[in-house]
Amino acid sequence: MDSLHAIGFYVSAAVSLGGGLLVAFLPGRGSRGLAVAIAGAGIVGLYASLSAGFAGLVALVCYAGCALLFAAPQYRVIDTVVAGAWRQAGAVAAGGLFAILAYAAWRGDFAHASPFNFGAIGSAAIGRLLFAHDALATEAVGALVLVALVGATAVWRGRDRGR
Amino acid sequence: MSAGLVSVLFVAAALVAVGAFVAAWKRDLTAALAGLPLMFGGAGVAFAGASRFAAAGGSPVFGQEVSALLAVAALALVALGVGIAGRGTSR
Repeated sequence: MDSLHAIGFYVSAAVSLGGGLLVAFLPGRGSRGLAVAIAGAGIVGLYASLSAGFAGLVALVCYAGCALLFAAPQYRVIDTVVAGAWRQAGAVAAGGLFAILAYAAWRGDFAHASPFNFGAIGSAAIGRLLFAHDALATEAVGALVLVALVGATAVWRGRDRGR
Repeated sequence: MSAGLVSVLFVAAALVAVGAFVAAWKRDLTAALAGLPLMFGGAGVAFAGASRFAAAGGSPVFGQEVSALLAVAALALVALGVGIAGRGTSR
């Protein structure tokens, strides 16, 4: 990875992690949606610096959709009944998870290889992989999207009918 | 300045941990859903990075494929979760 891509990678990493922390600490649905959009922009930048242009394009659309969902007026608050001590334990466990994953990455014995280059987007090779070699995985995600959209539509319509 | 596989995996681990932190920390369950795309994004970055720096033998675009599928799955799950949350409070 050359210097330009490395700088883009580290800047995108800072943006995505900063956006993630803003998601955790900002109140309100509008600011939370904006924070999700910032984190998504950072993740898209990470994909771009890793020469994963197609994944970056898909992530751009998906994270924009997530941000809109969190900022939408249909957003409703559901307070949890979990005590504060358990939430703090969960936060500490998240820190422990990072320590374990970072240690695994640090101690990993990785082979050095020359990176591939399929162009900026590489959509032709990914299309062949998605619709030929791994068609079952693509269909599974398509089924998940269908179930999610039908379920979301059903619950929204049911709520409007209940008013 | 350069970035290798270890750097990518560090960032991916941090994204997954931040997502888990959001899911555990938020008192509002709907807001806790926002940790889901972060965790999926971290996993996707790890896949894309491993694919980018992989040695010969595997398909070099496999990581991109999984990253794209993870992003779509995150959007679908967030849509479903926000929809169910809206349904739950209307009663």
